[in-house]
Amino acid sequence: MKTLTILKQHFILHPSGAIFWRETKTWLFADIHLGKVAHFRKHGIAVPRKAEGDFYQKSTKLFALYQPERVLFLGDLFHSFKNNEWHLFEAWVKQQNAKMVLIEGNHDIIPAEKFTSLGIDVRKEMTEKGFLFSHFPKEKTTGHFVFCGHLHPGVILRGIGKQVLKLPCFFQSPSQLILPAFGVFTGLHILNPTKKNTVYVCTEKEVMEIRQTI
Amino acid sequence: MTTVNAWFKAQQWRPQPFQKECWEAYTAGQNGMLHAPTGSGKTYALWGGIILEALNNKEKPKGLQALWITPLRALAVEIQQATQRMNNDLSPKLKVALRTGDTSQSERAKQKRTPTFGLVTTPESLHVLLSAKDHQKQFEHLKVIVVDEWHELLGTKRGVQIELALAYIRSFLPHLKVWGISATLGNKDLAREILLGSSKNYVTINAKIQKKIKVKSILPQTMERFPWRGHLGLHLLPQVLKIVEKNRSTLIFTNTRAQCEIWFHRLLEANPALAGNMAMHHGSIDKKIRLWVEEALREEQLKVVVCTSSLDLGVDFSPVECCIQIGSPKGVGRFIQRAGRSGHRPKAGSTIHFLPTHAMELIESVALQRGIEQEQIEDRIPYLNTYDVLLQFLMTLAIGSGFVPATLFSIVRSSFCFQTLTPEKWQWLINFLVKGSQSLEHYDEYKKVSVLEDGTHKVLHKGIAMRHRLSMGTIVSDAQLKVRYQRGGYLGNIEEWFISKLKPGEVFTFSGKNLELLRIHNMDVIVRKSKAKKAKIPAWMGGRMSFSAHLSDLLKSALFDQRNYQTKEFIALQPVFSQQQKESIIPQSHQFLIERFKTREGYHTVFYPFEGYAIHEAMASLLAYRISLLSPISFSMSFNDYGFELLSDQAFEQEAFIDNDLLSATHLMADLEKSINISEMARRRFRDIAVISGLVFQGFPNQPIKTKHLQSGAQLFYDVFKAYETDNLLYQQALEETFDHGMERGRMTQVFEKIGQQEIVWRECLHPTPFSFPLITDRLRSKLSSERVEDRIKKMFLQLEKAVS
Repeated sequence: MKTLTILKQHFILHPSGAIFWRETKTWLFADIHLGKVAHFRKHGIAVPRKAEGDFYQKSTKLFALYQPERVLFLGDLFHSFKNNEWHLFEAWVKQQNAKMVLIEGNHDIIPAEKFTSLGIDVRKEMTEKGFLFSHFPKEKTTGHFVFCGHLHPGVILRGIGKQVLKLPCFFQSPSQLILPAFGVFTGLHILNPTKKNTVYVCTEKEVMEIRQTI
Repeated sequence: MTTVNAWFKAQQWRPQPFQKECWEAYTAGQNGMLHAPTGSGKTYALWGGIILEALNNKEKPKGLQALWITPLRALAVEIQQATQRMNNDLSPKLKVALRTGDTSQSERAKQKRTPTFGLVTTPESLHVLLSAKDHQKQFEHLKVIVVDEWHELLGTKRGVQIELALAYIRSFLPHLKVWGISATLGNKDLAREILLGSSKNYVTINAKIQKKIKVKSILPQTMERFPWRGHLGLHLLPQVLKIVEKNRSTLIFTNTRAQCEIWFHRLLEANPALAGNMAMHHGSIDKKIRLWVEEALREEQLKVVVCTSSLDLGVDFSPVECCIQIGSPKGVGRFIQRAGRSGHRPKAGSTIHFLPTHAMELIESVALQRGIEQEQIEDRIPYLNTYDVLLQFLMTLAIGSGFVPATLFSIVRSSFCFQTLTPEKWQWLINFLVKGSQSLEHYDEYKKVSVLEDGTHKVLHKGIAMRHRLSMGTIVSDAQLKVRYQRGGYLGNIEEWFISKLKPGEVFTFSGKNLELLRIHNMDVIVRKSKAKKAKIPAWMGGRMSFSAHLSDLLKSALFDQRNYQTKEFIALQPVFSQQQKESIIPQSHQFLIERFKTREGYHTVFYPFEGYAIHEAMASLLAYRISLLSPISFSMSFNDYGFELLSDQAFEQEAFIDNDLLSATHLMADLEKSINISEMARRRFRDIAVISGLVFQGFPNQPIKTKHLQSGAQLFYDVFKAYETDNLLYQQALEETFDHGMERGRMTQVFEKIGQQEIVWRECLHPTPFSFPLITDRLRSKLSSERVEDRIKKMFLQLEKAVS
C-alpha cells in the first residue's frame, strides 16, 4: 500500500485498486461492473459464475482493514441492465452500515431511483474539500483535484532483456488521479504516460511507484 | 463413358488414364480419393462420372444431387464454370449453382425453392446449409459430396468442419458417395481414412503426371553485403527484374500480404514501364479486382503478378512461364504447389526461382531442391478433439432442426477428430451449451440452448440464433473494414487495428496504391489517391508458419552433408560461414551447439536443434522453465526454424546448466506441460478458440447488430478461465493445442533422445554470430519467469510517450 498526501488529506492506495480516504473514512471504488458476468451468461456466453462473487469477497476484506463510514462508487457500478446480480448487491447493501454514494458512469443505465430506494445517494459529480469526484476524467482543470475512473488504466513496463509487463495502475497527473477498475473481467486500457504523470502499478500484493526514463 | 469421351474429343482433348479410372470407379458406385496436382484436369475426372450417372439414370434427376466443396471462394467460381460448361453440352437442363459467403440472399432463397443439380460451396457455407430447419429434406436426393483440395483443408479446423458435416450427413444418407481430391501428401492413407471413414468400398487413384521442376536460387553478384536477417529480400531486386524481363509472364509468391505490397511497389519504382503490365493479388483485395487479375493472367495481358498464397490453388494459368518464391515456402509440398503454377501446358516443365531473404535461407534452398529430387513431401497433421469446432457445430444444428444428444454422440464419434471423445466430455459440452456450467446452480439466467419436452436440444432465443449465424466459420480474423474511395469504388478489406493507428491525412499503401485516409465512417475507410512518396504499409497479422518436420530433416542433411559444399548456394555462403566459424562453429550432425554472448540487451543464450519453429517454441519454454527452477530468473524467448534464443538480464551458468542435465528426456511431457502453463503460450491459441466456440462475438462489417455490453476480448476470457475454471474444456484445449499441434508429441521425445547422444558444444562468443542474428533481432517473443512480480518491477521502467514517437 502507498499513502498519498493531496491537499493535506491522506489517501491510501490499495493493491486491489480501491482508495481509502483516511480523514473522511471513505472507500473509493471505480468501475466495478457488477452483473457483467450475469449479463454475458444471460446472452448465452458462459463466463464462469465463480467470477461473480469477487466484489463481495474483496470488499469484505477491505472493510475489515479500514472500516468505512462512507463508500463512494466512481461510476460503472453495474455493467448493464438489472439482472440477478441486483439481488446479491441489494443483500450486500443491507448488511453495510456505511453511507453510500454513486457517481453515475456511462454504464449505469439502471434508473437512479432503484439505488435511492436502497439508500444510495446518486449524483452526477461530487465536490468536497477541494476535491471533485467524477466518473469521467477531466481534460480541463476545474480548480479541484479530481478522482475518477472510466478508463481502466494500465501501463506497459519495460526492462533489460526485452522484459515486458502489462499491469493495472493508478494514473496521476498534476490535478487528477485515475483509479484502476476494481471489477474482475473488465480489461485494461493501456495509457502512455508523459513527464507530468506519476504511475503506481498494482500487483496482487503491492502498489509500486514506477521510475520513468525518456 | 462414350458420351464423356466424345465430349473430350469435341474439345480436342484426350482423356488421361486417371480421368478414365475415375469415371469407371465412380459409375461403379465406389468412393474414392484422387491424388492429382492442380491444373491437371481433376475437375472433369470427377464431374465426368457424376454427369454419366445422371445421364444413365432413366428418371429425370430431381433435387440437389452433387455437392462440391472447395477451400476458396475464387476456386468455387472456377469449378462452377467448368462443370456448367460440361453440363451445357451434355445435359443443358442440369444446372450447377454457387453458394458461398458472396451469394446474395435472394439467390439463396431461389436455390432453396428450386434446387439445382449441382452446388459448389465452401466448408462454412455447407454448415450454413446444415443450419436450415429442413436440411434433411434439401439433401434427400444427394448422391455425392466431392471435397476438393483436401490437402489444404486437412490439418486445419476447416478440415474438422468437413469431418463433422460428412459424419452427420452420412447418418441420414447412408448411401452417400464421398470423393476427395488432393495433391500428393506424405500421409495419404490417413488423409483418405479421415475423409472416407471406415468404408471399404473405395479406390485410390493417382494421376501419374510427372512434372519436371527446376529450382534456381537467386544469388547476388557478391556476398559481401548479403543480409544476415530480414524477410524482404529487396537486395535482390535487380536480379528479379532481369528474370521478369526475360519471361513472358511471371508469378512472384510472397509469404505475407505486407511483403506482397512492398514488392509490388518496389518493382514498379525500379521499372515504371511495368505499370499497366503488372498486378497484385492477395486475400484482402476486392474480389472483383482479384477476378480481373486472374482473367488477365489467363489472357496473357500481364507480365508480372505479385501474390500471396491466394494464388496457390486451383486456377489454371497456362501462360505463366516462371515463378519466383520470395523467402522460405516452409514446406516442400507448398513449394511444389507454387512451382506448379507455371508451365501448365502439357509436358512443359516448371521453373521456380527461390529468393533467399537472408543468408540462412540459402541452406534451405539446397534442402528444398533435395526434397523435390527425392519426392519427399510432408504429412499434414489432423486436429484431434477440437471442442471449439464441435461446440460451433452443435450450435449450428441447434439453431435449425435441433439435435438429440444421445443420437448425435455416436455420429460425432464416428469422425476421425472425435473418435476418442468420452461420454463425460460429451456431457460437459452439452452442459456448457444448456447450463453454461457443470453444476446445478440457482439464480442463474444463463440462456443458450433449451431442452424441449421430447429431448430435442434447440435454440429458442432469436438473438442468440442471429449471433451464431453471423459468426459461423472457423477462419478467425480481425474485424475488417472496407476501403472505399470518396466518390465510391471499393478497393478491399483492411484490418481494423491497422487503420486505428492512422490519423486522417496520413498516407498508407493498399492494393498497390498510395492512399490518403480521409475518415472512417461506420465500417468504411474513406480514402483518396495520394501523390505522397512515403506511405505506411499495413503489416497483416498471422503469417507465422513453421517448417514441416520434413523440411527440417532435409535442412539438417543439407547442412551436414559435405557434398553440398560444392553447390553454388554454399559457395555463396562462404563469407557468412567463415564469420560464423570465427566466433563459434558450424555444428555437425554429432554436435549440439549452444552460443552465449552479452549485448546491451542482456545475456543471449542461443540453441540450434534445427527442428523447426513449432518444436523450438516448445523447447525454448521447456528449457526456460527448467532453468528457472534453479533460481529466480526471467526470460524472453524467440524462435525460428533453425533454433531458439533465451534472453535474460542475468546469466545462468554453463556449469549449472550442464550439471543439472537440463537437456534430459526424463519428465519431458510433465515439464513441458508445466512450462506451457507458466509461459502462457496458450494465450495466443485461445484467441481462435474463443471466437470459434462463440465466446467472443466479432460482429461483421456492414451488419452492425446490437450487441450492447457484450463485447469482450479473448484475453479477458482466458484470464477468468485461468482464475476460476481451469477444468474448462476450451481452456484445456488451448493448452493441448499449444503442445500438440504441428508438433507431433512423439517427435519431442525423439528430439531429446537424439540430443542425449550428441556432444554439447557451448561457445562463449564475443559478438553475435551470423546464425544467431535472425533470432536475436526477432521482436515477436514469449516470456517465462520465476521471479516475484514485485522484484521484476523494481528493475523496470516506463517508456514515456515522447520516447516512442
